Amino acid sequence: MFTELLQPMLLVCATLVLGPYLLKVLDGAIAASVGHRPLGNPWIAPLQRGAWLWLQPRNHTERPDSLNWQLAPAAYLALAGAGLAVVPWSATLIATDISTGIVLWGSVEALATVVIFLHGWSANSLLPLIGAYRYVALGLSYILISMFVLISVALPAESLQVSAVVESQRELWNVIRQPLGLPLFLIVGLGVSFWGPLNFADSADLSGGTTAEVSGPSRLVWKWAQAAMLVAFSAMAATAFLGGWLGPWLPGPLWLMLKTLLVMAVLPWLGHALARISPERFVTLAWVLFLPLSFADLVWAGLEAVR
Amino acid sequence: VAVGLLRRLAAARPAPVFVALGMQAGAVRETLALDPRVELVDSPRHASVLLVAGGVPPDQQEALRRLHDQLPRPAASLWFRSEPFIERGQAQRVDDRAALPEALAGLHRDLLEGARPAAPHLLPDQPPHPWKGQGMHGQGGEGMMGGMPYGRPMAMAMMDDVRDGLMLDSLSFTLGPFYPALPPGLQLKLTLQGDLLQMAMIESRTYPAHASPLFFAALERPVPIAELEIERARHHLRRLAHVLQLGGLGALARRTLADAARIQPGVRLPDLHRRVARSGLLQAIDPGLGRLEAAQAYALGGSAYRATGSSEDARASDPSYACLGFRPITGEGGDAHARLFQWVAEIEQALALAAAAHGQSLATGTQAQVETPRGAMTAEQRPADGSHLLMELLPGLEWSQALLLIASLDLAALSPYPADQGAA
Repeated sequence: MFTELLQPMLLVCATLVLGPYLLKVLDGAIAASVGHRPLGNPWIAPLQRGAWLWLQPRNHTERPDSLNWQLAPAAYLALAGAGLAVVPWSATLIATDISTGIVLWGSVEALATVVIFLHGWSANSLLPLIGAYRYVALGLSYILISMFVLISVALPAESLQVSAVVESQRELWNVIRQPLGLPLFLIVGLGVSFWGPLNFADSADLSGGTTAEVSGPSRLVWKWAQAAMLVAFSAMAATAFLGGWLGPWLPGPLWLMLKTLLVMAVLPWLGHALARISPERFVTLAWVLFLPLSFADLVWAGLEAVR
Repeated sequence: VAVGLLRRLAAARPAPVFVALGMQAGAVRETLALDPRVELVDSPRHASVLLVAGGVPPDQQEALRRLHDQLPRPAASLWFRSEPFIERGQAQRVDDRAALPEALAGLHRDLLEGARPAAPHLLPDQPPHPWKGQGMHGQGGEGMMGGMPYGRPMAMAMMDDVRDGLMLDSLSFTLGPFYPALPPGLQLKLTLQGDLLQMAMIESRTYPAHASPLFFAALERPVPIAELEIERARHHLRRLAHVLQLGGLGALARRTLADAARIQPGVRLPDLHRRVARSGLLQAIDPGLGRLEAAQAYALGGSAYRATGSSEDARASDPSYACLGFRPITGEGGDAHARLFQWVAEIEQALALAAAAHGQSLATGTQAQVETPRGAMTAEQRPADGSHLLMELLPGLEWSQALLLIASLDLAALSPYPADQGAA
């Protein structure tokens, strides 16, 4: 009973709480070093912000779609949780080891687009609406890339099961076997969690975009879910490309944690180092460069698998 | 106990402040951005304190009232060198900039500890265009198209398409005058078609900017070139920081603002060009964005004109600058990229001039005209407002490009009055 039901739940919930917190700590530390300015204690600052948002009252707009407005942050958090659930911590410690884990991950990315749009649209306000539309208009550009990249890691494993993908990397990690995969997957991660250079939904030029009208606990959950999605992407990147739990000396879960933290440090750094790319340029890059590269990645993986 | 702990944690965070910039507020936003006790936010919904900095003209008081009511309660407001609303009799006012961060942080703490009654709403909480309850869809008229539901016309493609023949509904709205991504005071009436701006009208112009008193003194007596050039570099660094902020690079923007605060004769910023070139801003701004015609650039003057290749610079006719080997820097292309790198080059040049002039204690050699950061100024003529250029430049642009274009232009007219001492 415990191992079947409770353990997976606890595992995912603990990651959903601790992961985003650690991400915010890392993000604060990186922001302070990029800006050459201390921004308070990075360990306490996320707690202070969270506490304030928790206490801040909700606001309302003129005739919002209240149900969707409230549900969108929770749904986005749930999607991040679903993504985290298929990440194996070791050969035995897996929340859900379904045989179609990669497919589930793909559906998380697709549904995230819907939820982000709902969040902006349901406020019935201008700036959130522009953010939502802009996000959706660019969404297709990277979701296709993600599909090819994920199929490439499934090829050598001959399985869509995430634990099999890890096992297939016992001799050689996918980051070396398919060098194009990880960078492309990180681009998708930035897009799905609308972070840094691909923050088309919640950007500064829209006063916070889909969050421009949100205050209080709703905003807390939304910010938390966004960080959780980045954590889920980091964990998946570590699993699909960096060998997941595999590694000498240390126990499996610790290896996964270290690798996830490594990716988690890269993503916020990209967010502070690179400006939000122009939408037009991104569409061109995505279709003319990244998509062909993901084809090449797939062909490479296929040739490598039949060798 | 848990709520008490949450309150203490929340009270200890930097005060989230939304700044409504009025006239002659000085660089209040730039200095507050560097203070660890305050965090400037982009939306009133994310703030607990509203700071009204500088005077707000009577015709924009209504907009300010709406803004005041948009902060989620409990919220407080603080007036800085500005007249509070009449109905807010005991509203707090602070005129000393050094006392501002502590006052803001204090208001935030008091709100959370319940030591201060929250500011009441000033306007009735009701839709500006009430529900008519008539017609099949409540649109207030007969049939599908009659009436104006909630005061908004039915979405219809009423204008020609600007891009690809795909007809989309037009959406008209007003942005400003307190929108943080626009220059203070600028109020635009925009029509969007899909993600493209179809039309831009100026509802009110950018508030005049107040240059440092040094530039006005330079028209009357010789002033040290070093101080003049430091002011120039500071102005351009702040403009640059705004563009970085808008591009989503808050940390780099803070670093640039910190540079603006610390520069003095002898300080150089050797990594500035690399910082901008590597920041991805070149990928954030489409090439050719906001290219100015010669006449448009001439009307704006200053570095925007030099970015089109002109070498017009009042400093070129000053014998003291000639001693320093001054030659105007000229750019190429006259688009937003060119203006950005024109700022970077002129900042580096100004710092080099300041260092050289400081060593020789050199003062300006002519009082006929002075090159302000906005362009040449004489006793009779000052750089004029360029807000109207936006009506020609904005149509056809995507949202983020439009706002980056506005940020790449220094549109404000130069006020005939110098900035308050210590406010620059």
